[in-house]
Amino acid sequence: MPARGDIQSVLIIGSGPIVIGQACEFDYSGNQAVRALREEGYRVILVNPNPATVMTTPGIADAIYMDPLTVPYLDRILEQEKPDAVLPTMGGQTALNLTIELGEAGVLEKHGVEVLGAPIESIQIAEDRGKFKDVIASIGLESPHSAFIHKVSEGHAFVSEVGLPVIIRPSYTLGGKGGSIAETRGEFEELLKWALSESPVHTALVEESLLGWKEFELEVMRDNFDNAVVVCSIENVDAMGIHTGDSITVAPIQTLSDREYQEMRTAAIEILRAVGVDCGGSNVQFAVNPDTGRMVVIEMNPRVSRSSALASKATGFPIARCAARLAVGFTLDEVINDITGQTVSCFEPSLDYAAVKIPRFELEKFPQGYATLGTAMKSVGESLAIGRTYLSALNKAIRAAEIGFEGIEELDMNEEELWSMAARLHPRRIFAVYSLLKRLGGENMDRISRLTGYDRWGLHQLLTLAALEHEIEAAGSSSPPADLLFRAKREGISDRRIATLLGTGAREVEAMRVAENMHACYHFVDTCSGEFAAETPYFYSAYGEIDEGAALGERGVVILGSGPNRIGQGLEFDTCCTLSSISYRELDRATVMINSNPETVSTDFNVSDRLYLEPLTAEDVKEIIRKEGVRDVVVQLGGQTALNMAEELEAAGARIVGTPVKRIHDAEDRGLFYNVMKRIGLDQPQSAMAPSRAEVERLAGEIGYPVLLRPSYVLGGRSMGIAYTPEELREFLQRDIVVSEERPVLVDQFLEDAFEYDLDAVSDGEQVYVGGIMQHIEAAGIHSGDSACVFPAYKVNRTALTKMKEAAAAIARELGVVGFLNIQFAVQNEIVYVLEVNPRASRTVPYLSKSSGVNLVAVAVRIWEGQDLRAQGLVTPDTEVLPGVAEGHCVVGWAVKEAVFSFDRFPEVDPLLGPEMRSTGEAIGIGQSFGESFAKATSSAGSELPTEGRVFVSIHDSDKATLLPVVRELSDLGFSIMATRGTADFLFQHGVFSEVVLKVHEGHPNVVDHLDAGRIDLVINTPLGRYTQRDDDYIRIQALRHRVPYTTTSSAAEAALEGIKYLSRGEVAAEPLPEPVRAY
Amino acid sequence: MQEAILFLADGSMFPGTSFGAPPLELSRLTPGVALEKGAGEVVFNTAMSGYHEVLTDPSYMGQIVTMTYPHVGNYGDDDEWSEVGPEPSSERSGVKVAAIVLRSLYDGPVGHGRTSLPDFLSRHGTPGITDVDTRGLTLHLRDEGSSNGVIVAAPEGFQRRRAEETISQEFRARVLEYLRAFPVMEGRNLVTEVGTTAEEIINPEGSPHVALLDCGVKGNIVRELVSRGARVSVWPSSADPEAILADSPDALVVSNGPGDPAVLGDQIKSVKRLMNEKPTLGVCLGHQLISEAVGAKTYKMKFGHHGVNHPVRDEQTGKVFVTSQNHGFAVEEESLPENVTVWLKNANDGSIEGIKLTDLPVLSAQFHPEASPGPRDARWIFEDFMELVRSK
Ligand SMILES: Nc1ncnc2c1ncn2[C@@H]1O[C@H](COP(=O)(O)OP(=O)(O)O)[C@@H](O)[C@H]1O
Ligand SMILES: Nc1ncnc2c1ncn2[C@@H]1O[C@H](COP(=O)(O)OP(=O)(O)O)[C@@H](O)[C@H]1O
Ligand SMILES: [Mg+2]
Ligand SMILES: [Mg+2]
Repeated sequence: MPARGDIQSVLIIGSGPIVIGQACEFDYSGNQAVRALREEGYRVILVNPNPATVMTTPGIADAIYMDPLTVPYLDRILEQEKPDAVLPTMGGQTALNLTIELGEAGVLEKHGVEVLGAPIESIQIAEDRGKFKDVIASIGLESPHSAFIHKVSEGHAFVSEVGLPVIIRPSYTLGGKGGSIAETRGEFEELLKWALSESPVHTALVEESLLGWKEFELEVMRDNFDNAVVVCSIENVDAMGIHTGDSITVAPIQTLSDREYQEMRTAAIEILRAVGVDCGGSNVQFAVNPDTGRMVVIEMNPRVSRSSALASKATGFPIARCAARLAVGFTLDEVINDITGQTVSCFEPSLDYAAVKIPRFELEKFPQGYATLGTAMKSVGESLAIGRTYLSALNKAIRAAEIGFEGIEELDMNEEELWSMAARLHPRRIFAVYSLLKRLGGENMDRISRLTGYDRWGLHQLLTLAALEHEIEAAGSSSPPADLLFRAKREGISDRRIATLLGTGAREVEAMRVAENMHACYHFVDTCSGEFAAETPYFYSAYGEIDEGAALGERGVVILGSGPNRIGQGLEFDTCCTLSSISYRELDRATVMINSNPETVSTDFNVSDRLYLEPLTAEDVKEIIRKEGVRDVVVQLGGQTALNMAEELEAAGARIVGTPVKRIHDAEDRGLFYNVMKRIGLDQPQSAMAPSRAEVERLAGEIGYPVLLRPSYVLGGRSMGIAYTPEELREFLQRDIVVSEERPVLVDQFLEDAFEYDLDAVSDGEQVYVGGIMQHIEAAGIHSGDSACVFPAYKVNRTALTKMKEAAAAIARELGVVGFLNIQFAVQNEIVYVLEVNPRASRTVPYLSKSSGVNLVAVAVRIWEGQDLRAQGLVTPDTEVLPGVAEGHCVVGWAVKEAVFSFDRFPEVDPLLGPEMRSTGEAIGIGQSFGESFAKATSSAGSELPTEGRVFVSIHDSDKATLLPVVRELSDLGFSIMATRGTADFLFQHGVFSEVVLKVHEGHPNVVDHLDAGRIDLVINTPLGRYTQRDDDYIRIQALRHRVPYTTTSSAAEAALEGIKYLSRGEVAAEPLPEPVRAY
Repeated sequence: MQEAILFLADGSMFPGTSFGAPPLELSRLTPGVALEKGAGEVVFNTAMSGYHEVLTDPSYMGQIVTMTYPHVGNYGDDDEWSEVGPEPSSERSGVKVAAIVLRSLYDGPVGHGRTSLPDFLSRHGTPGITDVDTRGLTLHLRDEGSSNGVIVAAPEGFQRRRAEETISQEFRARVLEYLRAFPVMEGRNLVTEVGTTAEEIINPEGSPHVALLDCGVKGNIVRELVSRGARVSVWPSSADPEAILADSPDALVVSNGPGDPAVLGDQIKSVKRLMNEKPTLGVCLGHQLISEAVGAKTYKMKFGHHGVNHPVRDEQTGKVFVTSQNHGFAVEEESLPENVTVWLKNANDGSIEGIKLTDLPVLSAQFHPEASPGPRDARWIFEDFMELVRSK
């Protein structure tokens, strides 16, 4: 069936900010969908308030809106754009839920908009666990024994029937949020209550525990002619009980016989048919009892998902692209597979390799949050590796995850500790298991398998690895036989790991390898196991086999990606890499993208001329450079991961594009940098290195309180801290930190109540183009990535801004920056301090590019290709604000960026912000006033500012003066004020009446009770000092749980007031992004 | 572990490690003498599971099968999954492929009641070779076409990373001489080696009564028929058609089987006679025999279709199915006579996947609707056929 001619325009809903469970895979899928539909001639309108994405780059869609994903704004956009249809299956759960809401509110009907992909009824069936179970039963399949619970009492009755443990899962939540495993009655009651409150419809499913069963996923595509294919099968190495997003997984399925697999395949297709997913992709999850083979259906997602992104990268089959085409009426046999160019999309992919995914956790940021994993997802990112064997893929994926392991390695623990770790759903469990197998041999395999649920197939692979490692160790540092080295490389063991095993250095191992001419070879990912010649060069490495594909030569340029998502290094960097590839190709360079993150646009096969899904380590990158015969390597766009490799790559003969490596080093090294700053006469906060605890105290006294402390080594915990008093300092030092000559603590003068600014610039070494200066809403002390920020700077002090531009120019020239430069400033008492300089593209580049209308990445690429800023016409006599310096301006009115957190994944963790970054994503608000953009940013970040109701106020003495006018104005706007006793007294003295509320320890009903009862609509709570205010934790945690907006600083409270004033006017305005100022 | 080498007729070498039955020693290669195991036409199969079904599929008689999926043996072997002929016949059981070529053999523990792959192959006297660059081999077969090959034990002093230097000219010359004299697949009649030798009756109480012309039938075809109630009389493919008709069956099924259809003159004649009398279904080789019987031609494909992921489109309804396939020959579309309609086509390469006669209740499929291994999407063909039979 040809594409539908009765629709001309389609609205695609994005997934909004990155949170745990919903990450950049939806930028990838949305992007593919937009491109596919535009190729078919449709006008595509996109809504996504996530500024970090590729998809919101001007030019990608016909109209791009960055307004909140809420019914009123969508109503407004539909009104303006009048699309014929909406495609809700590309934007994750967020887009599905919003579409259901739009349907229920009658908005879709009002505008005559058709829903493409999955009909609303099907979405509802798939998302409602109760209805879904009925459908499963109706086609003769099994679900876990369960009951659909609305009240706690019903839950107790069910447990009396089936016994404990049970799994509790709320309806309609993302990534298993609110889900849990209850072992005892007490636990059960508490967890059930939580689940009911997490569910937007206040229902939860309680079900029989299938802990330890094997877990599988199938990615299915179906067209509206009822043709269906399974694109990819995935086996979870971690058994049922650990969320698939947190599990190590391998594609394809390894341990099912063909009969079992075909039964599952048939079931999956029948499920799509029964649920009514008529055209598009779905993910279906199964559990299989390892002893009896009983197969049970766990769930299905009627949309593209994290797993479908993974499946697309693991097989080469572009699921989202295909799903978009199916949605507009094509059938599978009409969609040509872009990888082979000669097969159709109903040719099921066949793999001739294993693809292993490793989750990446933030153990350091949230140590308390990871004691055990469970049915709710907690990982923030993942790496994927492809290898000819499971072990080679596993080893590569682990080193690609950058979690401090070179691959599978043993842990330094005693046997007892290892057994206890293996018995828990611990993020590092596989390493404990390997340690046991390596130490104790295969006799324990069955015991380990029973304890962990790991299939014996995978354990046997680990055992093989252990034997190989023993052989290498036995060879000692005397050079091992080449044959042994060859076998090690074939299993994906890195040079560094081999060196450790041999007791020598990585360089020596590399030399042995090179002497034997032992280099990586590369295979195509071709969707067909070699049956057809692939057209799209998408590669992975192997050893000792045929080498496919010809070298690009010097025409090529390598772009180093940023690896798995993590807090502080995520989607923004991927967007920079993707945009740079586009720019380079426009300038006729051939690009080679290297990245291991399967969720991203950069690992889409048609973004670059060559794609290598390989770990971002010097060894792996060097082999690719060798194969391609490429010299130029871009390290400025892939965050710290890429930058850290610069020196080693240069030493190996690569030409690092832009800023010289030595100067990068100067900026990265805090000590060296301090000297550079001194030389060019810029202020920095006073700082000193303390090699002992006593010195920390002495230096803190000398510098003066408050001080910011940055230990260089921390045992499993948060590192930075602020101490306002010697007592707080002592308390800080009592924690698990090491202070020594080798690991000194950096003691900084803490700039209190200072405004923080972020500046992004591009330089050609002489001229400097300042993309913009953004001002943080929270004061310095809250990490730049966690602070809301506004462009243009809103509390403007012209001289300070000029000083910042001067500083940028001075630093750029002093360091010889060619390409990107990011500087963070703090301004206190009119003095401009430099907090940090990053000689690379920063997190804010995509946000700034969009709001200033200048694609900074395109500018940088042109500089690297020899067009300086004057030649580009960016720095001209007309535009210069300082000699050789020009500056960008906000072209969208106001653009506020708000940080988005995933604290709800870590109920144990205090959501207070500090100098260490903890946000997982960001949202943008664009508007004609600061208030409008702030209100929109807040809404897009997940909470709504109230326009009426109650404000709870509890403020520290030092903030009282600043906040008084804010509270007064709120009161004038009709809010009733609730305050803790001290604050209430203060307010009363200044003529503001408030209801006194008890603190948590003062009895009942206290503030938390009020929050629980839904009596509070806004929280203004400014604690001071990080370790003394335990009392306030509960307030924040509770506010977070109930999605009540809360502010912890006076400037945030002021901004909230602005937003509230805007909302009170009742306007709903939405404007698409304007045409960029400069077209590239 | 013994080192072994897979040689192709063009002289290319694929070193690896032997498992299962031992590899052939050079001394056993006598030019002109075909060995039952270890030598044959090298083909690749792209299925990611179902190696046991492949190993025991009679259509693979005389072929060395390369599995493109690297990990094989993962879940062991179980006689219950075997595809060798109808159930009770034990004399035909065992491994049909001449040898198997893998990238990574699994030889660890398997589930209760199952046998490990190396043991299973040893038991059935079939050699295997693992640690082979199966990707390189597959690309070679794809680009150069399928070729004869033999797995021989590596000579003393052989090193895989220096294969060219460590193998003597003489050794290689003798292997190639053997391969040159080895019969090519075109013109080979293998069906008599794998089909039943005497009539067998399965599910004697069942109805309708289906006569099955056994050219090396896969077990699952019989199971599909029996599960739909049929009584199945399994006949040797060389049986006298009049004897079959005398048994008064309600329908005929012409089975799959190995080798070149064009040389099966007797079988083609039988099919011609029988399909004029009874509703007929042909599967794989059976489809080719029916095509020959109506006067169409078959040809050898470059490397055939061996996998479980091939899309087949129903030319009448436009619906597409994912099918299990294993064939090296196909029917020429131009050679089809008037009374034949092309029923099914491969959605990738447009090759013929099924035909129907316009004047007789005869239909046939080039692929395997009985799957095993592979997707079960096309099982409705049996359903439709049984309905057709019942309606007559
Ligand atoms: N009955 C159960 N027993 C044990 N583990 C379960 C059970 N149901 C689900 N799980 C685990 O919880 C995870 C999340 O459940 P799932 O239904 O897939 O929700 P989500 O929508 O979060 O993906 C699964 O990946 C599985 O490991
Ligand atoms: N001397 C200081 N005074 C006040 N705040 C500071 C100071 N130094 C750092 N900060 C705060 O800590 C945050 C993180 O510090 P920074 O040096 O930028 O480290 P990172 O490398 O994590 O970005 C900054 O964004 C800022 O809010
Ligand atoms: Mg799930
Ligand atoms: Mg910083």
